[in-house]
Amino acid sequence: MKRGPSADPRAEEPVDPELLRRMRLGDETALEALYDRYGGLVFTLALRIVGDPELAREVLQDTFLRSWNGRETYDPGRGRVPWWLMGIARNRAVDLLRSRPHQARLREQEPLPPGTPAGELRHTGASDTVVLRQTVIEALDGLSGSQREAIELAYYGGLTQVEIARHLGQPLGTIKSRIREGMERLRTRLETLIKPTGAGRHHE
Amino acid sequence: MSDGHPVEELAAYALGSLEREEYVRVEAHVLNCAFCEARLREYRGVIGALPVSLAPVPPPSEAWEAIRAHARKPQVRKKRWARPVLLPNWLRLARWPAVAAALAALLFWNVTLQRELVRRSPGPAPGPEVEALSRRPGRIVILTGTGQPGASARIFLAVDGGGHLAVSGLATLPRGRTYQLWFERTGSPAASGATFGVDAHGRAWVKVAVPATLNDVQAIVITDEPASGSATPTGVHILDALPWR
Repeated sequence: MKRGPSADPRAEEPVDPELLRRMRLGDETALEALYDRYGGLVFTLALRIVGDPELAREVLQDTFLRSWNGRETYDPGRGRVPWWLMGIARNRAVDLLRSRPHQARLREQEPLPPGTPAGELRHTGASDTVVLRQTVIEALDGLSGSQREAIELAYYGGLTQVEIARHLGQPLGTIKSRIREGMERLRTRLETLIKPTGAGRHHE
Repeated sequence: MSDGHPVEELAAYALGSLEREEYVRVEAHVLNCAFCEARLREYRGVIGALPVSLAPVPPPSEAWEAIRAHARKPQVRKKRWARPVLLPNWLRLARWPAVAAALAALLFWNVTLQRELVRRSPGPAPGPEVEALSRRPGRIVILTGTGQPGASARIFLAVDGGGHLAVSGLATLPRGRTYQLWFERTGSPAASGATFGVDAHGRAWVKVAVPATLNDVQAIVITDEPASGSATPTGVHILDALPWR
């Protein structure tokens, strides 16, 4: 069975809700399929946050175990399955990061861990994934450096706006503006990617 | 804040980068505002897409086997009846009084237990509000851990949403620090239940803010935080209940 490094979060419907439905019935192969789709993405995110392959593996395993144990609690109204998984992984990774303060505060300034070049993706739908990745990269490139820095410190560094302001030596209001305007710009540029499609949502 | 909507804070809320007071205020608003809930869902979509931009790194080949091995550990599941249970006529007539008697006995036991807990519990004498809380039906969660050997805590969670916390054996914190109780949730930031200090004997009685739903709570933990409290847990787990259910 392949273990692809990443998957396309757009392509989740209707596959992902069906996987969650099967997981609720105790179907372990559905968990494996979910892992095949998103294990690489979760590991990549975890590695970016904690910066250590062993800790990243711990986050990866914990994320999928929590998704298995908490499969009854997934609420499609709060977002798609990959967002749910990324939320679990990010929170767990930031918890680990914060529990190691001597390692944590410099992490966000370090270069990204080495990864497989996009051209080496080998799994079904790899070309779609490459296109998606390029779309997100271009959206991020559309931000100013300071906007991107503030958003990445918040997301990957797990810092609050107050901590970011202190870290960068900038006024809090400036940091708030950078995050707000940067996220709004991303929301606009990624609109087709993030707009709900209707499936799997139950309170609109 | 725009037209009553915290649109300026929504992006930071989605990123988990608000301070505690702002976080609580925005969360309370979003729960009752379809507009902000929809906008928040879009910001979560943005955040969910961010990792896609990273240079992908394949996960270790042995990771899946470890996940599968843990997932296969047997879980305690409720036993279901294969077919309806047919009761004799006399038992059908008697079942509701029996159920009522059982509930009354359970309530009596609960009240007795809570009074005993109140009587025996260490720390400053609880006020009337906490004592009233302890008499409501609910359940008790025990928190233990190795963060401070000998320390422990009990949380009483009332079925109507209230709660209180009894702590013993915790070290007195230095000035500028506080203990903070958290409800760690799946897929959303941890919710703060209380901030508190302990007396000279390491004891405390405090009222707890219990999240509206406990369905997504994966763990209940106590951490050491700055005196103003934190928006998310920043300290190591001193005491916890894992898994708490």
